Amino acid sequence: MQYKSQSVAYWYFAVAMTLFGLQLVFGLLSAAKYLGPDPLLYILPFDVTKVIHTNLLIVWVLTGFMGATYWMVPDESRTELHSTKLAYVQLILWTLMGVTAVIGYLFRYGTGNKLLEQPLPHKIVIVICMLIFLYNISMTIKKSGRFTTTEGVLLLGLFSSAVLFLPALLHYENYTVSIFYRWWTIHLWVEGVWMMIMAAFMAYLLIRLSGADREVMEKWLYVIVGLVFIAGILGTAHHYYWVGVPSYWLPIGGFFSALEPAALVAMSIYAYGAIRRAGLGHPNKLALHWTIGSALFTLFGAGLLGLAHTWPSVNKWTHGTLITAMHGHAAFYGAYVMIVLAMITYAAPSLTRNRPEGGSSLGYWAFWMQITGMFGMTLSFATAGIGQVYLERIMGMGYLDAQLKIQVHFLMLIATASIFTIGVALFIYDFFRYAPRFISDDEPQLNVVDARSNA
Amino acid sequence: MNNRQARMFAIAGTGLSVLIFLGLTLHSHSKFDELTNAENITPQVTHGKDVWHKYNCINCHTLFGEGAYYAPDLTKITQHRGAAYLQAYMRDPSKFYDENKHRRLMPKQNLSEEEITDLIAFLDWVSKVDNQGWPPRPILVTGGFIPGSDSVGAVASGEGTAAAAIRPVTAADDPRAQGEHVFRTATPACNACHSTAPGANMAGPTLAGIASRAAELVESDLYKGNAKDVEDYIRESIVSPSIHLIPGDMYSANGTSFMPTGYEETLTAEQLDNLVAYLATFK
Repeated sequence: MQYKSQSVAYWYFAVAMTLFGLQLVFGLLSAAKYLGPDPLLYILPFDVTKVIHTNLLIVWVLTGFMGATYWMVPDESRTELHSTKLAYVQLILWTLMGVTAVIGYLFRYGTGNKLLEQPLPHKIVIVICMLIFLYNISMTIKKSGRFTTTEGVLLLGLFSSAVLFLPALLHYENYTVSIFYRWWTIHLWVEGVWMMIMAAFMAYLLIRLSGADREVMEKWLYVIVGLVFIAGILGTAHHYYWVGVPSYWLPIGGFFSALEPAALVAMSIYAYGAIRRAGLGHPNKLALHWTIGSALFTLFGAGLLGLAHTWPSVNKWTHGTLITAMHGHAAFYGAYVMIVLAMITYAAPSLTRNRPEGGSSLGYWAFWMQITGMFGMTLSFATAGIGQVYLERIMGMGYLDAQLKIQVHFLMLIATASIFTIGVALFIYDFFRYAPRFISDDEPQLNVVDARSNA
Repeated sequence: MNNRQARMFAIAGTGLSVLIFLGLTLHSHSKFDELTNAENITPQVTHGKDVWHKYNCINCHTLFGEGAYYAPDLTKITQHRGAAYLQAYMRDPSKFYDENKHRRLMPKQNLSEEEITDLIAFLDWVSKVDNQGWPPRPILVTGGFIPGSDSVGAVASGEGTAAAAIRPVTAADDPRAQGEHVFRTATPACNACHSTAPGANMAGPTLAGIASRAAELVESDLYKGNAKDVEDYIRESIVSPSIHLIPGDMYSANGTSFMPTGYEETLTAEQLDNLVAYLATFK
């Protein structure tokens, strides 16, 4: 840790890890309900466990983004954060928002609008937190006078995320119009500006971990961002196929979302190229695993599995089936979970005391069990989804009857989800078992390999 | 490509995409009202939408294929089932489905009668939105286009010859639920020749949409029977299938329907009433 104020990241990561654990509890509960019958039908029905599962994901991933940003910006701008106090206020407010939202969902206090279920007061707190965050980061950069491309991409991604949340605050009388703008937030987040955030973290990690040349990395970063937006913005159309909008969105959605993997291919090539030409053997190989893993899993989950059902003539059969769950789980895990875990793994040896720089064998178990588990879950959703599409959509068997026929895949889902959960539990345990360093800490810094000679 | 060119590529590509996207958005706004029949969004429909949100329906069901995948898509549900049936179903889903048979069940939502009525009005508005004809084949809750597809596994699982998904009923059940049981268990078997899937005609015509068709038929000059309303018509076609013949060589010859007769003897009067009530739910 070069700068003391970077230690705020620890608390962001701690909150993120706690909520990640909680997210999986509700995920497993939801999966168990697919097997049924459900003993919790009147205590914790599926709609409640599912809304908590997805909302915790969004909250903890964003917490991870914020923590990772508070870690990265001082490094890039070579300065202390503008205000650690503001960062803590923001974290407390944010955590309170997340926790009360979840408690509210237990009592069905929510908007019932998919992924944007947060009640209006919570949405306003989200905006306030975003503003505090952006202010704090911008002031830090302004003060330092050093503004790197990686930072610029990150900041633009975070700023656009806040702007794109605004349509979610409005009320739409027409359900179709409401769907139309819901995707401005959800799609343009996950297939647009969040990709910028992810690409910026990835560039940062690759520069630090592999000693890749900053000039080259940043040039590629521009190319990736360009490709993400050219495909991603008009690719929003793949959510507009069947919801009551003009038909020209069909070919547009098909064409541009077929282009979406291009950016992910570029990202993988760039990550692979960076390690091949690595001029620097950073000891934190575990963080490198997560970084490269993130690039490859994103290509698989978001790129390949997204492409698998994005063409309108395919999507008309697969739309609204477990095929979507297949793509959603793998894509989100690869792109956002893994990049946050990469940043945590990179920063953890400096943020905590006595942690081995190269990662522990527990850390590697966590990595491989998560990868195996999530790959298995993806296959379970895929096989269940393919079964569902053929039985229900193509052969015309009733929904409930078709679901009975694919029960065995839900068993497989729970088995692989359990492997995944153990992997996550190990990661969380590995994170918390070393005590954090505090800002007041005046002991000497760990002997971190300084990659800045390259920067 | 140098750094500056790469940056230009990113900025210009993004800028152009944003412009096209915003332009298309503007144009879409001029079409929304027409495509969604916005003039039909009455206060009742709006209230129904609020009910849909309030009870978090989207985190189990899908609408336009969007939502969660734990319960059936409801985009076209009001075109398949009549309002009276949906009303009864929403009062207590367990009266129509059995958790032990289908391994999942919708929890009772305790909606007021007004909430149910308005929710149905909202779903009816949804079903008429012009959404490129999706789904390409109707998505059914149970039953199917292929006869017997809902009964596979019954014998293997040691449940006797009863179809796996047939919910056991008692006299206290909703008449329509009892009627569904009759439909699936009567001899000669109704579902050997009739599906409840739209357009899936087998040895007999599909019963999907029979209520709407019957309502039109009894009013028309082509109708040769004595029924005055939907229920009477359905009863008449079960008991005396040859009084009014559905056109088609596969359904009748020489003025006699191929449908078996004798249901008035093999079924009790109450069973017959229940069967009629069940079939009348297919709008």
